[in-house]
Amino acid sequence: MKRTLIAIAIAFVTLGAISAAPLPATIKVGSAESLTGDNASYGVPIRRGIELGVEEANASGILGSSKLQLVVYDDKADKQEGISVFNKLINDDKVSVIIGPTLSGTAFAAIPVAQKAGVPVIGTSLTAVGITAMGNYVFRDSLPQASVIPGTLAAAVAKFHPKKAALLFQADQEYSKSEADVYKAALQKAGIQLVASESYSKGDSDFRTQLSKLAARKPDIYVFCCLIGEAIPVLQQAREIGVTQPILGGNGFNNPNVIKSGKEAAEGLIVGSSWFIESKNPKSQAFVAAFTKKYGTPPDQFAAQGYTAVLILAQAIKSAGSADRASIRDALARVKGFDTVLGTFSFDENRDPVHPSTPITVKGGKYVLFE
Amino acid sequence: MDFSLFADPTFLAQNLVDGLSRGALYGVYAIGFTLIFGVLDILNLAHAATFMWCAFAGYLAMAGLGLPLPLGLAAAMVAGAAVALLLEFAAFRPLRREGADKLSAMISSIGASLILVSVAEAIFGTETRRFPSSALDPRPHLVGGLRISSAQILILVASVALMAGVGLFIRKSRMGKAIRAVAASQRAARLLGIDVNGVIVVTFLAAGALAGAAGILVALLTNNIVPGMGSQIELRGLAVVILGGMGNIEGAVIGGFVLGLVETFTIAYVPGGSDIKDAIAFLILFFILLVKPNGIMGRGVADRA
Repeated sequence: MKRTLIAIAIAFVTLGAISAAPLPATIKVGSAESLTGDNASYGVPIRRGIELGVEEANASGILGSSKLQLVVYDDKADKQEGISVFNKLINDDKVSVIIGPTLSGTAFAAIPVAQKAGVPVIGTSLTAVGITAMGNYVFRDSLPQASVIPGTLAAAVAKFHPKKAALLFQADQEYSKSEADVYKAALQKAGIQLVASESYSKGDSDFRTQLSKLAARKPDIYVFCCLIGEAIPVLQQAREIGVTQPILGGNGFNNPNVIKSGKEAAEGLIVGSSWFIESKNPKSQAFVAAFTKKYGTPPDQFAAQGYTAVLILAQAIKSAGSADRASIRDALARVKGFDTVLGTFSFDENRDPVHPSTPITVKGGKYVLFE
Repeated sequence: MDFSLFADPTFLAQNLVDGLSRGALYGVYAIGFTLIFGVLDILNLAHAATFMWCAFAGYLAMAGLGLPLPLGLAAAMVAGAAVALLLEFAAFRPLRREGADKLSAMISSIGASLILVSVAEAIFGTETRRFPSSALDPRPHLVGGLRISSAQILILVASVALMAGVGLFIRKSRMGKAIRAVAASQRAARLLGIDVNGVIVVTFLAAGALAGAAGILVALLTNNIVPGMGSQIELRGLAVVILGGMGNIEGAVIGGFVLGLVETFTIAYVPGGSDIKDAIAFLILFFILLVKPNGIMGRGVADRA
């Protein structure tokens, strides 16, 4: 009896010692974002959101005395650059986890490097179909297209009752192509006839012929799946050739530059968003205030997703009690019902996020709820 | 497949307008390109970088200084002439003095192009600039169901004026005759007492100014100003020059319109045409060259222009 008690006592002490093994003084978090070129208008807000998240996580003492240390590189929205940056983060900086990259196209090239090395990745702007299917180390807090688009479309259908739709997308961009496919399926399911579908390629800047071709089929709504470099001229040229019908924009249109540069052409645009700046969620309001104070400009959806990724990560590291890559992966996979600026957040069994999305629209030069 | 578009006359006319304005841009760009080839027998691969710098000059004049459109156009053309002059003195003349071959000059122009683009990226950044909406009224003019934008009207008028102007200049003016003489034979021209280097400088100034006009017009049409913008027109410009006949000015004009119309009609009438517009355009180029290996108009500023 006495021996058993001693054995149990020893077991407890040992277990305690294991779970109390302190985290390293610094835990390196890598990030690859598009910081130059047009796609910097996604990458820079994400980096700022991440930086703010790291600052707050460190100040809150959630990880005890250990601190998150951020290493950010520019992926230049380029596949090769994405791969080399991932290799650098994994092999030279020896980060515990990687946040990014910015574009789905870059992600399909770079993330397999991390999956193979057993480094967890959290995408904060990756919405294409198949991102998390790249492996069990791949997570994202950006809602996949399939979970946003049907809701956005339903809201537009309820208001405009369209019968015919026309679609424009970029044929050589993974994000855009995937989004176009998801939209096609959603339109079919909603019983809306896709009367015309046109595409363009990287570097194109005159879309009038494609748009005229769409307009010739007299659609009731237009769907544009574009990254910001093309999103603005596409909107402007659509208005120029006389498009007055409602326009649904893909996730690429969740970007304040659409309004800043697109001006009147952006009015009435409808976008499905995972986060809305005027949300009543107190966490979200605190985030908007802190972000605006730090950077002098309000956050957007991508900043919110970057910020959220860090806070989810800090929580996962705390519950793992370890900065070990595999332990962080396991802890991330267990995240359920976490209160974030995006709302109540969980990862599903495919490591995709589960939280609400909202259709928003541009009115009077700003994003407002679409009703 | 739906064939109803083929029977739609408004759609056809609309594509004609779009294709002609697109082709006019290619033409203006290609004339400058082909002029230098005709006179010096070298491919100036920094022409696209010159074009890009002019777009920025025009943008800065209009969006930055708030100057009206004609002054923006002038600023772009002056900037183009200045960049071309810089190219002549930094990248081409030293090689000519050393008697280097044409290939060296082409390599030199590639180097100059890389430098010009890198400097632009360092100064302007790599994000796209766009005109304030006040630069040009975006509302199209409606002409019997046709939509024609202010930018398209400007492009058609300016391009035709420039093309005609260059044609007259080369054919009728004293300097034009000198340019043709130098193009035919620098040695013979020098023996006749023509200031060959002076003629070459004028050629570069004219080519640069044309790149400038093309730069600001493309910027106005697409509202897209970015250091990498030259790469889109570079290959097309080369195609137009080859299509029209290397060094042939009328050929460049015709080649420009052919390429612009073919591209537009491919997108408009071929299913999935936007994905294969370049393939079709270059296929047509290939067949034209099979039939006319020297291009539509044959060769040379000297003999034809």
